[in-house]
Amino acid sequence: MSTVETKDFGMNRRSFLKSAGVSVAFAGSSLGFVSSGIAQETVLRAYGVTTAQMDDPSLISKATGIKLEFTPTDADIGVFMRDALANDIGETHDIMIFDGGTQDILGPQGFYAEIDETNPALDLWERTPDFWKKSDISVYDGKTYGVPILGNCDAFAYFADAIGANPNGQDEIPYSVLYEDDRTRGRVALDRVFSQSLACMANFLKVNGRLQIEDPANLTPEQAKAVVDYAVERKKAGTFRTLHNSFEEQVQLIQSREVDVLECWEPAVKEAEKTMKDEAPIYAYAVEGGKKWGHGAYIPKQALERGNGEAIYEVLNYFLGGEFRAYQARDRSYAGPNMDLGVEYAEKSGWSSEQVEELRATDKKISRKMSNPNAFWAKPTAPHAGVMEQEWQRFLSA
Amino acid sequence: MTALALSSPPRRRWRLPGTATGWFTGWFLLMWIGVVVLPLLIISTFSFFSMHQYQIVYDPTLATWTSLVDTGRWVVVLRTIRFAVSVTLLEILVAFPFALWLAKGCRSAAVRAGVITLLTIPFFIDASSRIIVWRSILGTNGVVNNLLVGSGLIDKPLAWLLYSDFSVSFGMFGSYFPTAVFPIFLTLSLIDDDLIKASFDLGASRLQTLRHVILPLAMPGIVGGIVFTFVPLMAAWIEPQLLGGGQVNLLGQSIQSALNNLNYPVAAALSTIVIAVLVLMLAVLVVSLRGRFKMSSLFQSVDG
Repeated sequence: MSTVETKDFGMNRRSFLKSAGVSVAFAGSSLGFVSSGIAQETVLRAYGVTTAQMDDPSLISKATGIKLEFTPTDADIGVFMRDALANDIGETHDIMIFDGGTQDILGPQGFYAEIDETNPALDLWERTPDFWKKSDISVYDGKTYGVPILGNCDAFAYFADAIGANPNGQDEIPYSVLYEDDRTRGRVALDRVFSQSLACMANFLKVNGRLQIEDPANLTPEQAKAVVDYAVERKKAGTFRTLHNSFEEQVQLIQSREVDVLECWEPAVKEAEKTMKDEAPIYAYAVEGGKKWGHGAYIPKQALERGNGEAIYEVLNYFLGGEFRAYQARDRSYAGPNMDLGVEYAEKSGWSSEQVEELRATDKKISRKMSNPNAFWAKPTAPHAGVMEQEWQRFLSA
Repeated sequence: MTALALSSPPRRRWRLPGTATGWFTGWFLLMWIGVVVLPLLIISTFSFFSMHQYQIVYDPTLATWTSLVDTGRWVVVLRTIRFAVSVTLLEILVAFPFALWLAKGCRSAAVRAGVITLLTIPFFIDASSRIIVWRSILGTNGVVNNLLVGSGLIDKPLAWLLYSDFSVSFGMFGSYFPTAVFPIFLTLSLIDDDLIKASFDLGASRLQTLRHVILPLAMPGIVGGIVFTFVPLMAAWIEPQLLGGGQVNLLGQSIQSALNNLNYPVAAALSTIVIAVLVLMLAVLVVSLRGRFKMSSLFQSVDG
């Protein structure tokens, strides 16, 4: 079996251009064309999912003295891996942010550098709970490749009146309202992405003892087939109204009340609340837990070779700190490591008591969801992802 | 020996083009092969490889092609062809009388200009923005259902108006109507009115004139309309995505899904199928029109 070597060529396209550039720069400097000693603001470039981006990027600059230029990408694992493996994005970017799991492939292959847990700039690492720093977001094969920066436990949103649930939103709701409830038949929306829908359906069948499944996020071919058989049966029974493909679609489905229950991201409910107020749906505490996920920040090896290590660790430490935590919780309902620092930051920064209480509530909410024993960790780079995608097509085609 | 040498055909010697047209044709063919044909061949080649850990394994295999059957993706191929053929037929059936009216029936130049302008408007608006509007019109809480329920015509909203074969076909019809109308309108406009008058003068009925004069002369436009509608419909993904809501899975989405998972071989295999279907469709068109219509006349009618 021969695989493409994307990294270990003697000289690839980018390294050729780079060495050519170095030669030109050397020639230029020897002729006195390149001046030195011009004081410049430290600029780092990050590439990653938009959810990790601060609404106000100047906050990072003020806190760290480092300007972080963010190149956003969506949540497609394929796009991210293509940019990492084939486009060698580490040549141009200093920090990469994505769902935990990419380190399983990019770490051992030498694309990511190991995190230096003793780096003095990373002084919040020590106090960061093991739940985060020893999780699938950060670690692979005993080595730490990523700094966990935020996370949540994805489930679904529901309109309480449609399923006769308590409107205070504190009850645990079973996933059966998505798959097998006559009250919601034909008014259910699933995520079109198999790593969400197929995995959560597998978890439902696992928790309720219908199928023997070890890891809902990494189904064997036989398990994937069995879960998709169930999905096809439910589809033919007219359970699902639609499959959505984007955050905007999630919000629209909620606002138009096209469905009563939908798999979605929690920020979609947050967004709907802006216009729907009390009419907005509730983001569920699911009986079956849901899908735990987290974004990690990773260092491309080339970034350290460029001598950007110290600045990078400053920014990684910022991600573990109170300001980043507070704004992520306020704007997106996301939590992450060191939430107590977020609350502390909000209090010191004069946020209203209502906002501080909301941060505490977010912390409690995510702790409750994350500690549900039925919840499972997402695996965007699952070894059986290819099989799962192929089987999911059978559901889509049915 | 001599007789044999004399009877064998003279060997054609390769020579450089002697005219500007010859040079241009040569360069065009070279560029076309390099920019279009070669990439297509490379895409097809990728369908015979496989992926492992997001990297391509360059060992030839038919695994991707056999998986198209196992995963039901072949059903998607058939469904896409069904949609492309049915919507194209519908487009042509509606576009022809509309174009005929616009070219020959509409006597007001201002009205004609206005209609043509209206037909071009969709080209200036992003397709997603144009299509997504229909969701709030066709949804269960949308304008149409509200009107129907409000007027008492129906008791409960019609769910099939959205996320169904109907809504996808409807969206496609709207999107590709201008591309069906314009080629037909252009050829109809070029038909000399005197020919039509002569037909009537010779005693032909309206139907006979349509069948024996207008239709044959309009054939280049009709064929153009079919090509310009069918080809993009085979790759359409915005309408099935936004109006099908995952209930109507077509080839474009299947390719997108494979690419999202960095499964290049599957995407390549599906793209190869699209190309094969288009080539087959053009071949069928050429064969079925043989003797009645020359494909080259598609362009002759423009320069008169």
